[in-house]
Amino acid sequence: MSKKQYWKGLEELTPSVQFKETEANEFREDLPFNELESIAHATTSRRDFLKYLGFSTVAATIAASCEMPVRNAIPYAIKPENITPGVALMYASTYVDGGEAVPVLVRTREGRPIKIEGNNDSTLTYGATTARIQGSVLNLYDATRLKYPTIDKKESTWEAVDKMVGDALNGLGGAPLYLITSTNNSATTALAVSQFSSKYPNTKHIMYDAVSYSGLLDANQSSFGSRAIPAYRFDQAKVIVSIGADFLGTWISPEIYAKQYSKGRKISAKNLVMSKHIQVEGMMSLTGSSADERFTAKPSQYGAVAVAILNALTGGGASNLTPSLNAAVTKIAAELNANKGASLVVCGSNDSSIQTIVNAINNAVGAVGTTMTFATTNNTKKGSDADMNAFTEALKSGQVGGVMFYDCNPVYDNANGKAIAEKIGGLKLSVSFNDRMDETTQLCKVAAPSHHWLESWGDAEAHSGYVSFMQPTISPLFKTRPWEESLLKWSGDMTSHYDFVKNYWFGKLGGQSGFDAAIQKGILEPEMMAIGGAGFTGNTADASARIATSKIGKMELVMYEKVGIGRGGVWSNNPWLQEMPDPVSKCTWDNYILMSPNTAKANGAEHTDLNEVQRDKKVFNLKANGVELSLPVLVLPGMHDEVIAVAVGYGRHKMVGMAAANTGKNIYPMVSKDANGNSNYYASVDMTGTADTYELAITQTHHTFESKRPIIHEFTFEEFKKNPSELYEERKHEFSHFTHSFDTPAHGEEAAQHEEAAHSSQAPIAAHTSNGDDWQDAYRKNGTLYPNHESLGLKWGMSIDLNSCIGCGACTIACQAENNVSVVGKKQVLLVHDMHWLRIDRYFAGDPSNSDSIQTLFQPMLCQHCDNAPCENVCPVNATNHSSEGINQMAYNRCIGTRYCANNCPYKVRRFNWRDWNEADCFGDNVYEDGRRDDVNNDITRMVLNPDVTVRSRGVMEKCTFCVQRLQDAKNSAKKEARTIGDSEVRTACQQSCPTDAIVFGNVNDTQSEIYKLRYESQKERVFHVLEEIHTLPNINYLSKIRNADVLQSAAGHEEGAHHEAKKEHA
Amino acid sequence: MHLKYESIVREPLVDGDKSYHQITEDICAPIESKPTKLWTLGFLISASLLAFGIFSVTWEVYWGTGVWNLNRTIGWGWDITNFVWWVGIGHAGTLISAILLLFRQGWRTGVNRAAEAMTIFAVMCAGQFPIWHMGRVWDAFFVLPYGNTRGPLWPNFISPLLWDVFAISTYFTVSLLFWYSGLIPDFATLRDRAKTKFRKLSYGLASFGWAGSAKHWQRHEMLSLVLAGLSTPLVLSVHTIVSFDFATSIVPGWHTTIFPPYFVAGAVFSGFAMVQTLLVLTRKVLNLQEYITIGHIEAMNKVIVLTGSIVGVAYLTELFIAYYSGVMWEQEAFRLRVMGPYWWAYWAMMTCNVVSPQLFWFKKLRRNVWFTFFMSIIVNIGMWFERFVIIMALHRDYLPSSWSYYTPSWPEVGFYLGSFGLFFTCYFLFAKYFPVIAIAEIKFILKTSGENYKNKMRPIEETTTEHFIEEQTHHH
Repeated sequence: MSKKQYWKGLEELTPSVQFKETEANEFREDLPFNELESIAHATTSRRDFLKYLGFSTVAATIAASCEMPVRNAIPYAIKPENITPGVALMYASTYVDGGEAVPVLVRTREGRPIKIEGNNDSTLTYGATTARIQGSVLNLYDATRLKYPTIDKKESTWEAVDKMVGDALNGLGGAPLYLITSTNNSATTALAVSQFSSKYPNTKHIMYDAVSYSGLLDANQSSFGSRAIPAYRFDQAKVIVSIGADFLGTWISPEIYAKQYSKGRKISAKNLVMSKHIQVEGMMSLTGSSADERFTAKPSQYGAVAVAILNALTGGGASNLTPSLNAAVTKIAAELNANKGASLVVCGSNDSSIQTIVNAINNAVGAVGTTMTFATTNNTKKGSDADMNAFTEALKSGQVGGVMFYDCNPVYDNANGKAIAEKIGGLKLSVSFNDRMDETTQLCKVAAPSHHWLESWGDAEAHSGYVSFMQPTISPLFKTRPWEESLLKWSGDMTSHYDFVKNYWFGKLGGQSGFDAAIQKGILEPEMMAIGGAGFTGNTADASARIATSKIGKMELVMYEKVGIGRGGVWSNNPWLQEMPDPVSKCTWDNYILMSPNTAKANGAEHTDLNEVQRDKKVFNLKANGVELSLPVLVLPGMHDEVIAVAVGYGRHKMVGMAAANTGKNIYPMVSKDANGNSNYYASVDMTGTADTYELAITQTHHTFESKRPIIHEFTFEEFKKNPSELYEERKHEFSHFTHSFDTPAHGEEAAQHEEAAHSSQAPIAAHTSNGDDWQDAYRKNGTLYPNHESLGLKWGMSIDLNSCIGCGACTIACQAENNVSVVGKKQVLLVHDMHWLRIDRYFAGDPSNSDSIQTLFQPMLCQHCDNAPCENVCPVNATNHSSEGINQMAYNRCIGTRYCANNCPYKVRRFNWRDWNEADCFGDNVYEDGRRDDVNNDITRMVLNPDVTVRSRGVMEKCTFCVQRLQDAKNSAKKEARTIGDSEVRTACQQSCPTDAIVFGNVNDTQSEIYKLRYESQKERVFHVLEEIHTLPNINYLSKIRNADVLQSAAGHEEGAHHEAKKEHA
Repeated sequence: MHLKYESIVREPLVDGDKSYHQITEDICAPIESKPTKLWTLGFLISASLLAFGIFSVTWEVYWGTGVWNLNRTIGWGWDITNFVWWVGIGHAGTLISAILLLFRQGWRTGVNRAAEAMTIFAVMCAGQFPIWHMGRVWDAFFVLPYGNTRGPLWPNFISPLLWDVFAISTYFTVSLLFWYSGLIPDFATLRDRAKTKFRKLSYGLASFGWAGSAKHWQRHEMLSLVLAGLSTPLVLSVHTIVSFDFATSIVPGWHTTIFPPYFVAGAVFSGFAMVQTLLVLTRKVLNLQEYITIGHIEAMNKVIVLTGSIVGVAYLTELFIAYYSGVMWEQEAFRLRVMGPYWWAYWAMMTCNVVSPQLFWFKKLRRNVWFTFFMSIIVNIGMWFERFVIIMALHRDYLPSSWSYYTPSWPEVGFYLGSFGLFFTCYFLFAKYFPVIAIAEIKFILKTSGENYKNKMRPIEETTTEHFIEEQTHHH
């Protein structure tokens, strides 16, 4: 090694002492500490600076931060038995609305009911529910319910009421006392009424249905000798013909019929059987929308159509109707003839003559004893129009001493309402047991409000032999008393209603244990439904003759029930149901005149075809039955050109409640009496346009797949039979070319890296790789530049059968109840701020100017939980992201509300909290700019909120979570028991509520699960994803719609012979 | 005799008989005199617009985003339209100061100061919109990648909105620095001329102790070049990134690869139009016609006609590609854009942006001040509609069930007016207290492009080459 020395200066070669010193010193020059003198002597020292900085920052933060109001939750001082805070309890009970009684389970939390589920044990409903059943829990917390008894509208006590009514009853002096109630099918209530009647023998008990089925009951009396509605069995019918009966939406027992009906619509490649449903109707109903074949007729023609069908079946005269109806009759008769003993005809008319003919048809096609049975009767409707007429006559002639109303509101909803209203005030005694200051109660001297069914004991026998029990799930919220108890008290029996019910059923069920078991199960049912025929004794000639005299109006009005609001009653003040878009018209918060596009055009009612631009509708004057009122026109394809329709249940008095007030007009006064004295819901009507307009809050403004957008796949039954795999092949053709990956290694250097990536993406994503669907996996992996995320363990998926879905909206309300979805009010719906997590898209196909050609499709649309979600990557703060279980989840607390995710969602299912709907943010009282309070944010109504689900504040995005709280609950219980989750263990709210089982949910990684089998085995041919081609990879699949019709209509109104050409073009 | 020779064929950039001192006098005059009535009036109007804007935004924050007419289908409306519009306007300043500096375009010195100021104010206005459009604006800081106690919780780095946050804030910072560093020597001039103590102190503070030494000048020049180098890619990147808000989405009509160049061209287009609007007024009001000449105006009009044509080509390309792609969703989106419910916005855009700027092919119109002013407004209206048309692609996307329509509510309009308030309040203050023309920079070009100096060239131009050479060699 060289010993050379290098030096960089002479100083280094011969270092001086000074140099050495300098060299050793790290800092060659003095540090300029002196210059910092000024800082050191500053009044604020360097150390204090941080203190001041910290203090001022904290002070500023505190001063600027939003102070959240403190809401105290008071824990139980003494924990009630059976209640564990945070754990839900289910109680079996019975939903009751008038005579309608449906076995349900009530989910309660900390002693308050929050959600209604169907009772799966019932062999009638199999757990089916409707939107109204789902919404009924909100009625319990309705703040406008009467909170105490009143006398002369002033608060009173039960003692005072008892004394007053007792005195009045004794002072009647033999004058008749009318007890008017809705249909009652409870044995204990009947007993209480009879106890009361025996004490006051002049009592006359009248049952009254706001929407009358008197004509049907009368016809059955004369045809089969039984004034009862038979139990219909739509599941046994291969051919279902309905003449104006909305049996899936509102007619008698829609939840049961929908469940039965769906059995005939569950079609698959391996099960090529399907019922055929033909509908003849004037308006566009929910049931008509689901029909395979649909013909329109004016209501005055229903009788003639029925007669023509009967004639065609029995070889009578040829039908002499319009050409389209003649064709309909021929078709219907042919179908019925071909399926004797397996067909059913129902009619929605309240005319006993028409119903007699329909009975004759059913008799002729062998329906009696097969698809309809009188051995089991449907006791949902028992009201008699004749009795009601007699009561009105008695009132008018001063023959009435007193009157009591329970669960009925004839002043509002009876054709004689006006006459009744005038006389009630003058009676010695008038009592209303109704739950609110409705139109009738306002006129009564005494209001003795009864409990809500969720607060009551009781029973119901809606079908003979099928008893369903009611038990309270909450202590009465207000000072109300069961009306049966009131009757008992006034008849001198001091038993409480509970004891009364218990005593009765102790006798029947063998004491406490039997009673407890029955209450726990909620139902008492026979092993098998009793089936039996009945001899037909109807006078068809007479009925035909009467029908022949019926007058045909130029323009006819149909008064119908809305699926949500129904007859009115308590439903008018239910904000959930008011805001539920009508399944067919998609309108909220109002009633309106439904009119065909042709008629609208001819009368200048159509403002514009750009509904989303122009929200106001022309107002028309209607004149019928001597009554005049004006309503806005809503144009709806599928309406008969000479028929208009208006829903009942609107135009309520403002004391009924805030949601009910100012929505629509009351159409009941237009109800007339037919020749038999029954209420006639059809009327000949005069219609004139006005210059006024009115805004209708419609949630869907486009009716068709514009330009044949391939959103729904639909086939005729014949097409499907011929080639069930058509859809599957089409999808395969479209997606199977994704055979190679974008990350195929190109260069040696990168190869290793890529191999690793490829290796991981080759791992099985799901168990279904083995069953020939490799192209689906290839599309999943190779349709993107990004790596594939494996999903092992749980992977949630949902399937929605478009063939089963009838569009009833039960799921929408179930979701609303389960997930605390906000109500926004009409004004906000007009601004398209509606919040429903699950909406039902409704599309029409066919020629709008030909009402018979209209075919309707329903498509429930909710978050698709895309595995390649467009919403997730655009959120700047990661507030929406994907769970390992395939759920697209929202972290509300993280959301800052840029709304980018909603823009980028191709399904438009994300919902933004535009305002402080729940009063959950830190600004006080800022729901409405005018400072008004709404009907949902009071302390009573808030009790309906599900504590398992966060109440969202304003400014955050929300959407379907697949009911993640339910999933979590199931996972926790499985974990506690160290097992895996069973397939049927967890059900989403929408799935549970669906009356037609259109929704299937489960773990798609579990090859034994229903969803797996359906998606990859039994329904493989019908599966499709909406907008599959944009590679969002939804976890929701749909099953194609199969229509048992000859042709499919296209959106533009052409029959689609080569209906898949268009789709291929777009592929 | 300046060493750089510029042909007298080129138009002078400074008119009149100007000396260095005269320039200083001319530009400092408005600052040193009392505010005129016109200025006071304009300032008051701007300030009241700003106040109304603040009220509108307060209203929105208190009652919720629902007071705007946006809806479940159309999540963005005037808010983001205005954001993109203002960002676009904010492009001209930096383009003029950075890119034209690098390209040694002498004419930029007359307009760069005002254009840069406009950029700063426009970006400030732009920034308001994405902030106040948030549903929970008090949590806006979530977009910042700051250390926190919520576990490893970061913003979503693949979100274009987050890229926006970085792009806009970087752009704003660099533009501000650039603008301010240019102002330092001029502030020093004002300080030196100041008569009152207060002015002396304020301008003294603002000029950071500028002494005008050679070293200062050298560093100043160097800094300008460095910042110009930094800003040049930013001019291109900011609007590219803004366009990613749309281009990376899957909304038909948004998901387009043409967006980045098309947005940048549009931004320059609208930015120059806004510069024209302001300068035509400024030169008149502050009597600066000799510094901001017709030549300047014409130069900018040329940029307008170029970028306007680029934008026009982009529009037509979009239509063609939508047709040619064969993708039904795209075809439908563009069919609806042209013929759907928002047809009027599309045709307003086409007329204002593509058709009308073509008039600038005529030299006479290019050099007409009033026509330029009118066109500059038209172009900005057109560019506003462009952004509106693009965003309204939301109104009809995939599922017809969710199609919707949107018109703004008063707080949305108020917010927009408020942004004008903010912009003009700032601009009026700027015009009153800051030198609207870069005094130091314009002096650089005086001796090459000043009218009086150019005139001195005339006899030289007329001499023969031989004579000139002889003269030069004999005299020096």
